[in-house]
Amino acid sequence: MTSAEPDVVDVRPVSRSGLVWRVLAAVALVVLLVHGSASTRVTDAAWPLGPMSQYAFFPGPDDTVVITRVYALLADGERVELPLRVDTAGIRRADVEARIPVIEDDPSLLRAVSEGWSSRHPTEPRPVEVYLVQDRTHLHRGRVVTVDQVELARWRVTP
Amino acid sequence: MSALDRPPPGSVAGWFAPVRPEARVAVLRTVLYVFVLVDVHAIIRSPIPLSRHPELYRPLDLAVLLHLPPPSLPLTWTLYAVLVLGCVAGLSGRAPRLVGWVVAAAFTWWVAIAFSYGKVDHDHLALVVALWVLPTVGAVPGGWSSARWSSQAGWALKCVQIGVVSTYFLSAVVKTKNAGWDPTTWPESYILLWAVVRRPHGLGQLLQPYPGVLHAMQWFSMVAEVCSVVVLWLRGRALLVAALFWLGFHVFTVTVLYIHFAPTVVCWLAFAPLERLAPWWRARHPRLEPPVPVPERAVVRTR
Repeated sequence: MTSAEPDVVDVRPVSRSGLVWRVLAAVALVVLLVHGSASTRVTDAAWPLGPMSQYAFFPGPDDTVVITRVYALLADGERVELPLRVDTAGIRRADVEARIPVIEDDPSLLRAVSEGWSSRHPTEPRPVEVYLVQDRTHLHRGRVVTVDQVELARWRVTP
Repeated sequence: MSALDRPPPGSVAGWFAPVRPEARVAVLRTVLYVFVLVDVHAIIRSPIPLSRHPELYRPLDLAVLLHLPPPSLPLTWTLYAVLVLGCVAGLSGRAPRLVGWVVAAAFTWWVAIAFSYGKVDHDHLALVVALWVLPTVGAVPGGWSSARWSSQAGWALKCVQIGVVSTYFLSAVVKTKNAGWDPTTWPESYILLWAVVRRPHGLGQLLQPYPGVLHAMQWFSMVAEVCSVVVLWLRGRALLVAALFWLGFHVFTVTVLYIHFAPTVVCWLAFAPLERLAPWWRARHPRLEPPVPVPERAVVRTR
């Protein structure tokens, strides 16, 4: 797939210093990347040189799998889900999940979801109350046994 | 400082900076500038809407180190404009170093903003590396049709290849590290079941009742990630087979989990003989020859 290096072609010269800095830079790149993933002290905040930690954890056979959702009570009394995607609420589910503890402490942070959804659905009634909930799927010996839902935070929407 | 044509074969410098066609860099730049345009509209779309919510912002180390200002609407819209205009300028091929590094800096900042609200993804590593290193090659005379080869091109391509392979290999390292360096913990966990439950859309639903199959897939994935580093030494047909395997792997993760690694996948092109595109195209679309002159005797004289 990669072309073999030909014997006779138009080859652009490279200076020794140009070669030296390139090799040093490539070695530094490798060292930094390996350090970012092999060190126990480096966190995701070190991106792009942090650990490749997506899916690098170990749910057990009796764990609970949670899916975070946000629901809203609209001004017309209807309860709807505000899907946690950039195109529907201006924020990803993963970003909300990463902030669950601070949202539980300060539910007004749900304003980001409420305003994000309203600005993308101008013809819908505005939410008067929003709820942060989690669908919980309980596993037993590696199989799904029950599903329930728990409310984590609730915020009365203020202008 | 004296100039060399190429680093000595078999040397460390020869591995990190092999002589490769500059046309491959020219094609890869074009593809990646188009991809960045797609990326900011289809993949990393959150910086502008998230910049409305400074209360959720937690800067990455990069932003702290460089004293970058917190995201705001004027800032993210400016970054967006710079990225769009920069990619268009990059596609024109003018001032490849200046334009390339402007795009690289703007895109790195753009992605860093998206990752500063909680979730950090790892599918953009190779793309970010590529945007920073490809401009170092400078102007490529002849563009896609360039016949020139260089260590400068080979080094840039090698860095992109390292970024691609690191995405897989270091993923296996982290999975092992997080398990106290026990390589069996992750493959024996219920991570795929967890992922399938969380993403109940793809074909993974069909596998949910079969934890044994999911475990086999986890072992397969782990072994593949550990072995991925070998790709850096493969050539020819073996490299083609490896590339097709990983592309198939990504097709599989999309169908089972709805997880794509498109920014990594596009960087696999750094392994491909893209320099053959222009000759291939010319062979199939030959230039029209000038019209055959009409013999004088065939000209009808009119009175």
